[in-house]
Amino acid sequence: MQSLQQPLAVNNQSEPDAPPKQVAQAMERLNQAARVIADIRLGADRILEAMFVASNPRHNDMPLQLFLKEDASMRQHLQDLRSIGKKLEESGVLTESLRSRSNSWGLHMPLVCPDGAVVAYAWKRQLAGQAGASAVDRTRLALKAFTDQKRRFFPHIDDGHKMESTSKKRRGSNSLLEHGGEEPVEYKTLPDIQSRLEKLVPNVKVSTYGRLSWLKRATSLPESGSDDPSEESKPIFQSSSKMRSGLEDEVVDKVAVIELSFPSVFRAVVSLNPAGSVDPDAVAFFSLDEGGSYLHARGFSVHHVYKHITEHAATALQYFLSFGTGTALYSLLLWICSFESLYSKPCSKCGKLLAMDKKSSLILPPIHRAYQELPLAVSLNVCEAYHAGCSSDAS
Amino acid sequence: MPVKWVLYWQPNQGTTVSTQILNEATQCVESINGVKEGRWKATLNYYKPMLRDQSNHPDLPRDFLGISLADQPSKYYFVIRSQRIVVEADASIQLIMEKLQSYKSKVSLYFDGFQYQLGDFRVRVGRVVPVHSESVRGIVMEVEYLPISSMEKSRKVMEEFVEIWHEALSKRSLSGKFVNIELNFGEFGLADTYTPQHTGVQYAIVMAHMIATVQPARG
Repeated sequence: MQSLQQPLAVNNQSEPDAPPKQVAQAMERLNQAARVIADIRLGADRILEAMFVASNPRHNDMPLQLFLKEDASMRQHLQDLRSIGKKLEESGVLTESLRSRSNSWGLHMPLVCPDGAVVAYAWKRQLAGQAGASAVDRTRLALKAFTDQKRRFFPHIDDGHKMESTSKKRRGSNSLLEHGGEEPVEYKTLPDIQSRLEKLVPNVKVSTYGRLSWLKRATSLPESGSDDPSEESKPIFQSSSKMRSGLEDEVVDKVAVIELSFPSVFRAVVSLNPAGSVDPDAVAFFSLDEGGSYLHARGFSVHHVYKHITEHAATALQYFLSFGTGTALYSLLLWICSFESLYSKPCSKCGKLLAMDKKSSLILPPIHRAYQELPLAVSLNVCEAYHAGCSSDAS
Repeated sequence: MPVKWVLYWQPNQGTTVSTQILNEATQCVESINGVKEGRWKATLNYYKPMLRDQSNHPDLPRDFLGISLADQPSKYYFVIRSQRIVVEADASIQLIMEKLQSYKSKVSLYFDGFQYQLGDFRVRVGRVVPVHSESVRGIVMEVEYLPISSMEKSRKVMEEFVEIWHEALSKRSLSGKFVNIELNFGEFGLADTYTPQHTGVQYAIVMAHMIATVQPARG
């Protein structure tokens, strides 16, 4: 049996096996060894049991038969185990002899550690055969999805161009250069933005939170049932008065979440990144009756209407951010306020409030609001309402 | 709680209501992409006082109604329309009333139908059938808009939905239409935020209209 001489060839074939086959065989043998060990344990139990029965004075010669039978099978099991162990040793599983071989295809034999743990490395994926190939496919698909989404949500970003120059070309007469110097100073701090917003939009309730305090608030919101206006106003007045007192610096540093709500209509959550800045990075819309830890700027409402608005808002946010002039937050908050009329303002194209959305087969109000005219608009009327299907830039 | 409108089927002059209307209505819901969620059941009872002295007691209400709602299984709602009273009680009140024997249910009605989901709308359509009878007394439809709980804010949305519904139904040339009754909830002490008590009141009014205007089908 020449196989015992060559560490690589562990069966009767004359040429050495390829590493995956060696590895497969090694795993198979380890499994066999585990089964034999289990048999040995069972046999030991039976022998002990027979000894216990034999210790009873009232007995026949059955224990003796049992002993003989178990003895024979135990010896066989131990013999099997010895031979498996030898094979494993030769194939390098119980030692590290094959670890550094250069033609092992980067595969490693499973290593049985002194404490009995079997360590399997990257070779395990290769065993399946398909896994490697599918990982490449998955990456390819992910890249394709990413480029598609980038084209859809960030049409104004060209590879290799600076964002500001491209977006300036698109804006034409509304270019900031013409209106430059008029009002940008007022948008720089959170309290300024908040007070300006509240002046422009009388019904809105704006409140700010640190990330942790928002989580507390979100989880304490009732999940269903009436929205009690008196309960809602408490935290709001607290934090806005904090904003205006001398604690501005301290509080503004930690603000990471802005909540905008219109009583009886909706609630929007904006997250700032980094905390304390005026740079929004995500926004989501929810019903006032919703509550729970999923209520955050990257969460999704259970209602279709708010899910759709949240998706649309992501596009608007990217548009506002593309200006790169620090006006994104104010534009975003102003644009969010245009949704106060979500359930009252009909679509500017078809004149109706509700329409069957072809893509989702759902009856929805106009969930789109035009955002191209912001942030320089003085009134929210420029944010025309459209159904998703009626929108002029529906893709 | 989401806003709900309760509509009832008003057949044209000289026609009666039947299970066929319910079938047409459910098919119509499916035609506007409604997804069937399951059966819908509710019960309604008219109570009359049990008095030893059978003479007229003018101060005792004659339109005392109790209703169980499918979305509030542990509660029972009482409405006295003439006195503008609506009360929520635990569902065990029915057992208590039976033991007390002070009021007895003189008419019992079942609402039996199906529930559908249409995006953010939830629709229930069912026939009204007296207990121990197979005759259809009427058809009732509930429309809920889940994202809003304010009656005022949801008004336009609900109106337009009912328009869409009417339009879809008109293609089936049925002899009648679903009617929504304008209600002053304030008279019952109810606020703008929707509650099950609002539903109770709507049913009380709908039943009154139905009994007055809809001829029971025969057989």
